[in-house]
Amino acid sequence: MSLINEKKDFKIIADLIPAKSSVIDVGCNDGSLLEFLKEEKNIDGRGMEIDQQKVQLCLSKGISVIEGDADLDLYDYPDNLFDYSILTYTLQATKSPKNVLSELVRISGKAIISFPNFGHWKIASSLLLKRKMPISEKLSYSWHETPNLHFCTINDFIDLCDEAGIRIEKQANLKTNKLNKFNGKNLLNSYFNEVGLFLVSKIKN
Amino acid sequence: MSENKIVELAKEKALVLDCGKSLKSIKTAYTTYGKLNAAKDNAILICHALTGDQYVASNHPITKKEGWWSYIVGPEKPIDTNKFFVVCPNVIGGCMGSTGPKEVNSETGKEYGTDFPVITIADMVRAQKLLIDYLGIEKIFCVTGGSMGGMLVLEWLSKFPDMVHSAIPIATATNHSAQNIALNELARQSIMADPNWNSGKYYNSDNKPLKGLSVARMAAHISYLSKDALHSKFGRNLQDKNSLDYSFDADFQIESYLRHQGFTFVDRFDANSYLYITRAMDYFDVSSSNNGSLIESFKNTSSKVLCISFTSDWLYPTSENKKIVKVFNTLGINVSFIEIETDGGHDSFLLEEPKLFEAMQGFIKSTYENL
Repeated sequence: MSLINEKKDFKIIADLIPAKSSVIDVGCNDGSLLEFLKEEKNIDGRGMEIDQQKVQLCLSKGISVIEGDADLDLYDYPDNLFDYSILTYTLQATKSPKNVLSELVRISGKAIISFPNFGHWKIASSLLLKRKMPISEKLSYSWHETPNLHFCTINDFIDLCDEAGIRIEKQANLKTNKLNKFNGKNLLNSYFNEVGLFLVSKIKN
Repeated sequence: MSENKIVELAKEKALVLDCGKSLKSIKTAYTTYGKLNAAKDNAILICHALTGDQYVASNHPITKKEGWWSYIVGPEKPIDTNKFFVVCPNVIGGCMGSTGPKEVNSETGKEYGTDFPVITIADMVRAQKLLIDYLGIEKIFCVTGGSMGGMLVLEWLSKFPDMVHSAIPIATATNHSAQNIALNELARQSIMADPNWNSGKYYNSDNKPLKGLSVARMAAHISYLSKDALHSKFGRNLQDKNSLDYSFDADFQIESYLRHQGFTFVDRFDANSYLYITRAMDYFDVSSSNNGSLIESFKNTSSKVLCISFTSDWLYPTSENKKIVKVFNTLGINVSFIEIETDGGHDSFLLEEPKLFEAMQGFIKSTYENL
């Protein structure tokens, strides 16, 4: 899925990751985020990607990549193998978002998750006023051909984390490009952010 | 094009084998392509499969056919002979010039036959290491091979991790399953059931166990193909006839094809070698020297690895290849994995498969650039 402002999103993600961290990007696309993080933060990166053409692209760039499915293949990794896992614009396309989230915080100390916010005012108003499934830059598919299975709003995501025993540490505001300490649900965030971007970790028992 | 070369190694110090016996003055027949550069960092070692040999990219002296991996090895190919120094040895136990059952035992002046010690995949790799040392290569840029070749690759990664910069094991497994062993046993029994086999003493006879070897090859060949590929290639089509013969002649095209595969194979392969090499594959378990722990077996590996499997390969299926990936992931090894969709079966690594070409080229090129 294409990003509105790839570089801007990349920069925010890079700001969340300390230098030389080990990172897995799940749904790593053509590997450009991993390349960016290698350049900016000298990370030790791994990718997972379901689309074979993109796997081939990663291989040609020297990125270590597993052809795999977030729903099935995260189980193959041991606990806390990575410092960070990243899941950008993929959560809504997984069969079981809750399991995928739980797996991500199992295999890495912290996880960075981004997804299109279904609660954004434009999307909400498309439903409310036009009675049509919304199509926007972030949600560019018609309802009958979308690969997305589980849309959620920023508030839904916050609830899911709560249910899955996942702590939200930071939330990005992609409008202002700021990373904020998470202070619970905020109606403005859910209305005006087209994208939800969170830093999360597992609540230790 | 490369000329076949033969070198005799372990002349002073015998190589101790897994079985406890040792071999001295081991001959290794091999081919090379391209040139070893001054830094000696551009060597690629190619490990052949059960019935392969050193003629990886040059015409075979017996069949006159082009090399078995000419699609992958050559100028501008993924294993680019303009850039890399390619080495492909015939394994010990083989029959294309390396020390094996059909070679003469210098101690007795007679062919080894079944007096040849039972060798393992690890023994083959030990012999390959002697060759690599002889060629003056301290670190191999990439070791690759499919099927049994992939087992040799895994053995290299496990036993000589510091000598391997990168590796591409293809369509392989960390050990042989009961099904793999069963198929090999079927092949061995068909050879040994041929009266001409004569307990392995047939080299000076006019009657060689060609029928047994031919049946062994037919059985194995079925396991290299997928059901879909067999169906689309042959279906139930009849061979040069319009109706059934009500006989045991080759009525069906698939029968005729398999018979042809069997007949032509015996011209270039030795029955005893077939016994020894299939035995080595059955004995193979890369973790056997570490009490069955794959993690222990690869704990010193720091190479960059690309594992490749094929969807229709039921002999060394994706699940077996993924087992390797899982172990490497657990150890934090730089591993990549790609599963190529094809109906070509296990043999896909030998076929003109563009996705295999692309993956190998991408991996090898980028890995060498980042050396």
